[in-house]
Amino acid sequence: MTSYRLASGGDIDRTSRLRFSFDGTKMEGLAGDTVASALLANGQQLVGRSFKYHRPRGILTAGSSEPNALLTIGTDGRVEPNTRATMQELFEGLVARSQNRWPSLKVDIGALNGLLSPFLNAGFYYKTFMWPAPLWEKFYEPFIRKAAGLGKASYDRDRDVYEKCWAHCDFLIVGAGPAGLSAALAAGRAGLRVIIADEHARTGGSLLSETATIGGLAAPALASQIRDELVSMPNVRILERTTVFGWYDDNVFGAIERVGKHLAETPAGVPVERLWRIVARKALLATGAEERPLVFGGNDIPGVMLASSMRTYLNRFGVAPGQKVAIFTTNDSGYALARDLEQAGVSLAAIVDSRAESSHRYQAKAPVIRGAVVTDAHGGKRVSSIDVSNNGRTRRIEIDALAMSGGFSPIIHLACHRGGKPEWSQKAAAFHAPATLKDLALAGSVTSAWGLYSSLRSGGGKAVDLAHDLGFKASVPDFGAVDGDVSVLSAETLWRVKKAKGKAFVDFQNDVHANDLDLAVQEGYGDVELAKRYTTNGMATDQGKLSNINAIGILAERRGVSVAQVGTTTFRPFYTPVSFGALTGASAGYHFQPVRKSPLHDWAKNNGAVFVETGLWYRSSWFPRNGERTWRESVDREVVNVRKNAGLCDVSMLGKIEICGSGAPEFLNRVYCNAFLKLPVGKARYGLMLREDGMIYDDGTTSRLAEDRYFMTTTTAYAAPVMTHLEFCAQVLWPELDVKLASVSDQWAQMAIAGPKSRAILQAIVDADISDEAFPFLGARDVSLLGGQLHGRLFRISFSGELAYELAVPAGYGASIADILMEVGKHHGIQPYGVEALTVLRIEKGHVTHNEINGTVVPDDLGFGRMVSTAKADFIGKAMLGREALNSADRAQLVGVVTLDPSKSFRSGSHILEKDSAPTLENDQGYVTSSCFSPHVGSTIGLALVTRGRERHGEEILIWNGLQNEFTPGRLCDPVFFDKENQKLHG
Amino acid sequence: MAEYRVAHHSVLTGRSAIASNDIVLAPLPEGHVFQLLSIAQRSQVPLPAADSCLYGAGPEQWYVVGDAPLTVQAQATYFAALPKGAYVIDQSHGRVRIRIEGRRVEQVLAKGTGVDLTLSQFPLGSATTTLFGHIAAHLIRKDTNLFELMILRGFAESLWDELVRMSVEST
Repeated sequence: MTSYRLASGGDIDRTSRLRFSFDGTKMEGLAGDTVASALLANGQQLVGRSFKYHRPRGILTAGSSEPNALLTIGTDGRVEPNTRATMQELFEGLVARSQNRWPSLKVDIGALNGLLSPFLNAGFYYKTFMWPAPLWEKFYEPFIRKAAGLGKASYDRDRDVYEKCWAHCDFLIVGAGPAGLSAALAAGRAGLRVIIADEHARTGGSLLSETATIGGLAAPALASQIRDELVSMPNVRILERTTVFGWYDDNVFGAIERVGKHLAETPAGVPVERLWRIVARKALLATGAEERPLVFGGNDIPGVMLASSMRTYLNRFGVAPGQKVAIFTTNDSGYALARDLEQAGVSLAAIVDSRAESSHRYQAKAPVIRGAVVTDAHGGKRVSSIDVSNNGRTRRIEIDALAMSGGFSPIIHLACHRGGKPEWSQKAAAFHAPATLKDLALAGSVTSAWGLYSSLRSGGGKAVDLAHDLGFKASVPDFGAVDGDVSVLSAETLWRVKKAKGKAFVDFQNDVHANDLDLAVQEGYGDVELAKRYTTNGMATDQGKLSNINAIGILAERRGVSVAQVGTTTFRPFYTPVSFGALTGASAGYHFQPVRKSPLHDWAKNNGAVFVETGLWYRSSWFPRNGERTWRESVDREVVNVRKNAGLCDVSMLGKIEICGSGAPEFLNRVYCNAFLKLPVGKARYGLMLREDGMIYDDGTTSRLAEDRYFMTTTTAYAAPVMTHLEFCAQVLWPELDVKLASVSDQWAQMAIAGPKSRAILQAIVDADISDEAFPFLGARDVSLLGGQLHGRLFRISFSGELAYELAVPAGYGASIADILMEVGKHHGIQPYGVEALTVLRIEKGHVTHNEINGTVVPDDLGFGRMVSTAKADFIGKAMLGREALNSADRAQLVGVVTLDPSKSFRSGSHILEKDSAPTLENDQGYVTSSCFSPHVGSTIGLALVTRGRERHGEEILIWNGLQNEFTPGRLCDPVFFDKENQKLHG
Repeated sequence: MAEYRVAHHSVLTGRSAIASNDIVLAPLPEGHVFQLLSIAQRSQVPLPAADSCLYGAGPEQWYVVGDAPLTVQAQATYFAALPKGAYVIDQSHGRVRIRIEGRRVEQVLAKGTGVDLTLSQFPLGSATTTLFGHIAAHLIRKDTNLFELMILRGFAESLWDELVRMSVEST
């Protein structure tokens, strides 16, 4: 007989029926069910196919360690593969599909792999698919990927939203079983800020599956009572459906809350999953213990289940596993299950106890076979019989379900996430958490404190201790006497049943059986970390929650060493898989990254700008006009217009820093490699900032606004790094200087007005005289605008090589001033221009940007050698700039590049070769750092860093683009293509 | 040039405030924001207007903010009143302020900042610079359930959109 729903019992709502489908078959479950319990209630025991051999698999557990019942849940963009049916709550209309089978779950061609098993053992990848090498990519890998695998992700857009959140508490409790709830109550009553998290839908842990009573109250009722009290406390937050997945530095825990995973549709605005970062002053792990499977032949056949899980299905969900159940156990917990099964009217075929003696006095009907083992289970898609061996005899018993219990492993993962190694306790036959843990304690069965009474007491006790450490006075809650509990105590270990004939699985999810581990030891991979990789034991999505302990035991036996000597593999986050959606949080689509907008953004938009993302900024690239078919046409027009009339460009993105203080002149003199000490008030100067190693760090102009106040501009990309650099200099290098810094990048809307008509246009809004005599090149001053309506800052500086100004006005007025400038400049032919035209203008003038300041150039490489002060006692970079290699004649130097044939073009990044040399990097002479089409020259021009470039002007070269296989004959030249005498600049 | 009148453009103009029982989100007027440097004590910082507020901004640094812009004259008077050795940087256009309040304000803000906002840890008047999602912001507690966020003008729209998204659950 299959599994079935009992007529009564269980904590489910029998009046609330939920329809769902499994592999297209319509089924019904009840509110309170998991998908696993609903499938079992429907008699559906076959739920998946195994990874490698495609063996039929059933539900093994009732929790997050489930290795077999991995289903694909949902449809379209809400598909989630590899969902553990044991954790997924049932909802109306849920669609579930099995995985890793073809054409169907019942008839799976892949099961033929079982016949190939002699070839598919440990290390088979390394042994089988080595030759011929070309077949790996073309045949082997695609074949293996198709045959072995988990569910498939959807290509559809995920309609759900995700988010991240912070939480802070005095006391975090992980696990809301008896120990956790008792601890929460103690701490909550004492007034601590408590967070208690549990991965299940309901708080209670093992209490929810328990038939014992505490203080006369049924265990699930006690769980509800405690929960109610906790909910009433404003200082306690209960996070249900929340898996704490990692323990990180500073006692920060990562947790994932499945906010809407139990709903058919999450309400608008509510995330389906929320990733928590919980900062806890103290934390308590009350994570319980994982029951160990037993390793015997056929232990993976559907119908074989962990004993405590079978008890959960029986007591919590009212689902019986079958009608002839056997229990194979190494400890007393099997007897608790036996008692509950018989009380529910399920008949027991046998209790197979590996121990010769047991202190537990079992008083029910089933025969107890002591000193015995199950060597093999038989059956196809459902278990039908077992072979039981004791005293040298083997007998076959007909059954329809088998529970197994190999003892319990404390769930210590989180305690080991920060590098601590687990410690083996021979007495408890279990690995315990590292002995010294800062601000983290453990309570309950995770410490091998077995039994309800011990768990409740230890949870409360630990909470009292931790509360005391934090200065709170707490007391251990008293829940009254426990009646009907079966305490497990320590179990004798049984790592494998030696006489097994069939495949005895250790790792269910990755199809690793005991013989694979034997082979690993035999072939020299017996170390626990090597065996893991060689056999893939513990490498599946369950990370060996069930398998690692048995694998360690088997390796120890096989190597003839102790379990402690074998040790464990390394525990790392995440405890259970976390979706990419949750890790991404809200940073998707529109919210992918912040957008930084210039105060002139809307002005540029109104003028038809095409924007480009540069870092987080949106910059106007060019401003197309009617009839222009390509971006180049627009850019060429803008460039020509700047040279002929005037243009307005938004340069608000430049970094702007105000430097105040009596020490500011000396500060700047040390920060820049050129002289700044004597810069007069009202003047701007171009400055070069070096790194300590002598390379150029950044450039820009700095203006002196007053004796003790300067205004520095940096490049857009280096605005923040330069600010950080200056703060470091001021606070760490020269704290004796009176210097204060403030970023004012966002305070000012800054616009370049460039071109021969720029003065006339600006004069229309600037109240003071800005003639060449009154306001010469490199002038910088506060100006009154529009008859005193506004004050701004005017700088006569030029990136384009034209007569040009930069006008800064308070950002809120930026758009209005730009509009007015366009209006007053209309009859002068003013047009807006974007960063593309800006680039063309500066390349034509040989002005550098970070294309050229690439971290490997010193001032002389760019022709700034004479700017470097020889008179200054010191400046950043001075010492290292003196290095021999930085003064070598062979260094790459800035040159211009033009094509020989103006109809030909080349791209930035192309390499420079001597005219007749072969295209190899060995012959490399340098590369093109910037390039553009120059309307002035009438062809593509570029700037390049070329070995001994300055002495090679006029040399014919070959421009080689190895990626596109392009060869363009060209010539090296002066990097200034336009107005070499700077006549326009001073116009 | 009297025919041209310069006009002010507020960056969050057109963004409608959110108001529910649990959360209220509203842009604050772009009034005055002064960054003061080199003033050791809070008590040494004068305020330019009756409704001006003073926020800490790090060692010897302060922000003085208010809803109304200052006239050129009022500003000059205020600057002259600052203690000797102090420096003032006008950030009135560089910073944008947003008010967020309501019963669920701590929960909404916890989606952005790692600062512990519990009243006992971040009491009234507390101010700190924090990363709000990916955007640096100055966060000030004005009342038990009332906070102010001050951010760079260029990020104001982005942060507003983030706050709206974070508030949806509470509206």
